[in-house]
Amino acid sequence: MDITYVGEHLWAGNTGNFFIVLSFCGALLSALSYFIFTQNEIQNTSWKSLGRAGFFIHASGVLGIIGTLFYMLLNHFFEYHYVWQHSNTEMPMRYILSCFWEGQEGSFLLWTFWHMVLGFILIFTAKNWEGPVMAVVALVQIFLASMLLGVYVFGYKIGSNPFLLLRDVPDFANLPFLQNENYLAKLDGRGLNPLLQNYWMTIHPPTLFLGFASTLVPFAYAIAGLWKKDFNGWMKPALPWTFFGVMILGTGILMGGAWAYEALSFGGFWAWDPVENASLVPWLTFVGAAHVMVIHRNKGQSLLVTFVLTIITFILILYSTFLTRSGILGDSSVHAFTDLGMSGQLLVYLLTFLLLGIVLIAINWKHFPKPETEESVWSREFWMFVGAMVLSVSAFQIIFTTSIPVINKIFSSNIAPPTNPIQHYNSFQVWVAVIVALLIGVGQYFKFKKTEMNVFLKTIAVSFFGAIVITGLLTIILDLLSVQQIPYIILLFSSVFAIVANASYFISILKGKVKLSGASVAHVGFGMILLGSLISMSKSEVISRNTSGVDLQKLGEDFPNAENIMLVKNDTLSMGGWFVTYNGKKKEGVNIFYEIDYFSKDENGKYVKDFTLNPRVQINPRMGNVAEPATKHYLGKDIYTHVTYAELDEEKEKKPEEFKKARTVTLAPGDTVFGSNSIIIFEGLDKNVDKTKYNLGEKDIAVAAQMRVVDIKNNSFTARPVYSIQSVYAVPFADEISELGLKFIITKLIPESGKVELEVYEKNSNLKEFIILKAIVFPGINILWAGCLIMVIGTVLAIRHRLKQSN
Amino acid sequence: MKKSHIIAIIIIAVAIGAILTTVGDSSTYASFAVAAENSGKEYHVVGKLEKDSALIYNPQENVNLFTFYLKDTDGAVKKVLYHGTKPQDFERSEQVVLVGKMKEDGFQANTILMKCPSKYNEGKPEETEHKAQI
Repeated sequence: MDITYVGEHLWAGNTGNFFIVLSFCGALLSALSYFIFTQNEIQNTSWKSLGRAGFFIHASGVLGIIGTLFYMLLNHFFEYHYVWQHSNTEMPMRYILSCFWEGQEGSFLLWTFWHMVLGFILIFTAKNWEGPVMAVVALVQIFLASMLLGVYVFGYKIGSNPFLLLRDVPDFANLPFLQNENYLAKLDGRGLNPLLQNYWMTIHPPTLFLGFASTLVPFAYAIAGLWKKDFNGWMKPALPWTFFGVMILGTGILMGGAWAYEALSFGGFWAWDPVENASLVPWLTFVGAAHVMVIHRNKGQSLLVTFVLTIITFILILYSTFLTRSGILGDSSVHAFTDLGMSGQLLVYLLTFLLLGIVLIAINWKHFPKPETEESVWSREFWMFVGAMVLSVSAFQIIFTTSIPVINKIFSSNIAPPTNPIQHYNSFQVWVAVIVALLIGVGQYFKFKKTEMNVFLKTIAVSFFGAIVITGLLTIILDLLSVQQIPYIILLFSSVFAIVANASYFISILKGKVKLSGASVAHVGFGMILLGSLISMSKSEVISRNTSGVDLQKLGEDFPNAENIMLVKNDTLSMGGWFVTYNGKKKEGVNIFYEIDYFSKDENGKYVKDFTLNPRVQINPRMGNVAEPATKHYLGKDIYTHVTYAELDEEKEKKPEEFKKARTVTLAPGDTVFGSNSIIIFEGLDKNVDKTKYNLGEKDIAVAAQMRVVDIKNNSFTARPVYSIQSVYAVPFADEISELGLKFIITKLIPESGKVELEVYEKNSNLKEFIILKAIVFPGINILWAGCLIMVIGTVLAIRHRLKQSN
Repeated sequence: MKKSHIIAIIIIAVAIGAILTTVGDSSTYASFAVAAENSGKEYHVVGKLEKDSALIYNPQENVNLFTFYLKDTDGAVKKVLYHGTKPQDFERSEQVVLVGKMKEDGFQANTILMKCPSKYNEGKPEETEHKAQI
């Protein structure tokens, strides 16, 4: 029987699907027309016009899809799976963008959108290159548009459609509530994951995806160059795009790091998580590509490497999409997407463009112009080339380890990722960073073609010795003087050297000419990023060491890092030079905020409040409860505070008079145990029990345990829990000390030794609320953030300079 | 020999070095039995939480000790000691991946990765994990 459902907005889905088909067909038309236009090499502009028209159709389709989806999200059309899955009526409207791209389909749309925007800019700026470049862009768009189709071809599902009705999703189709024609009246969406309800989720994905999208432009130019056999000309327009992409992708990645540091409990800004790695790797090759392009523009060398790095960067973006979206990282990553059954499609996509690149390079390789002379070892291009290669090797190491799950899949092997990933990557990448920083330092002092050695040495000597002095000072200040720290001291020197050398190049050689200073400024920024990460990572100190008097020896020598501290409400503990107090919590929506005060002592020994932090725990039924840290920022250091455990059981607070079993103890006469508000002493067993009081017969046996309890004010109380044996049954009788909220029940007697096994109960009101805290001081992390900013500024300057050159 | 060839050789050598360090640093997915045979070595053990057995976390006594029982993929149940705080919502975990080594008193885990089922997906586990690390 067909049900006529009430209140569904079927027109919205139909509109959306129309736009999906429109965008797909437009891309198809555009790619074909541009292809024919480019292949025929005639000045027949009608094909070009058709190509443009196709792209406009595609663009209106993409905008139509986005508009429809937004309309549906805004108006809460929960009959649609995507709307139901990612939004609800309670959610603040400012998170509507986050809802839009929380799901896979939405993030593909975001990616498609940026490609489309870049495509438009190319149509108006690429001039002679428009035909081949746009043919590639449109081809990519065909693949991306197909990701949203959601149609079955020969039983294989192509794409995942965001306009699918909830009742058409196989997992839901048979649920009883969908048999009700009026199901919509009661339906609310599942809502945006609270973890993602913050401003980072609004700014990080669009930036990162613009970075992803921007790798397409140099790729398209490179393919166009191979296609039209113009092996050099493409780099001129591609170079500013490459710098732009490096800047945006870099910013996107660092935003992810900042998000992890500020709001997630990674305990640092970089955890070598597979998903982080997957976007870092194409950035590294992209930076390599940008530098070899500069070499080629100046000297006409390293053509093959330029092609390879430019093409591989885009392929790596596709590969990273595959890694994060195919569910293959399932066991090894914190934030991989779920598999939507599109991994096969992504793989086809990846292999198509990989093959395209390989075939085109293979065909043309013989025709690449060969430079007559080799570059001199004392030339800038030689060392830039070495730098690009070092970055490539670094990228290779990261992607190889990150790909372990893929390797397992292909060879059905059973390798697990390194048990200590941070150490694994750092031990390799520290040396990469050292070499890169040294190259950055000396690079600009070399001239293109040939450098006069004595001039070079003279100019660089100042920076070199300056860096040695600063490194020496920093080593002492940071207390790095030990054998284990040698790699860090070397990295410290090289990053300081990179900063000093580039700054002095800017001042003494460029004479402060801002126009030409892009490279110097960006390199100073990069050096600062290295320096900041080095200081904050190597000198980060967990201050929440255990000071609560609990014995940690039993943890064993393998686990010296007991990094959590217990804070009972209103108690003050000393922690890393501060005195911390936990004042209580308050609940706001899904969040429970914990108020923690940091005090320090002034000269007179008086406590002065320095600052208050409010880390929170988020009650999150979808992902499990999540703790979000709070951080106090100072110029020189950050104090990161994170609730690692808190009792979320509200029952206890509601029933303060109820007893809760605190512990089971076995005591010999004279032994003591600690209660939460008292000291409990077992004085011994007493056979002198008033049997009538317990309704015991003459033959029954009864023994009382004589307990003495002393509270903090030194008041003494007694309790006599009784253990009786009535014929063959053991029956204990509890005894309470109501003033202290204590209760004792004997569970076993050990007559030979006079020992007794007791259960100690305490009232819920006795058990004070507590939280467990982890606090870390990160020194120098602001150097890192300042470095990011400076690097972006430098890249903008470089783009401006290159744009002027290419016009 | 051209300089580009020298560079190429060095790069290939370093790349092979990178592969070797990865292989050297990599661990293996193993059962408790295998981990017990090589008790000094770190392994990844995949399993399910034994929800009926005791989950002990007494922060008043020791903030940094959490013990529970895990059934590995071979069905063997072992006590696990994790020297950190109890991960939030641990009871709800569907699948647990431990990283650590076997000792006499149980499996000493230094990392716990857990997968939680979603309330909404009719018991289908959601592919998100909590990483708890010391």
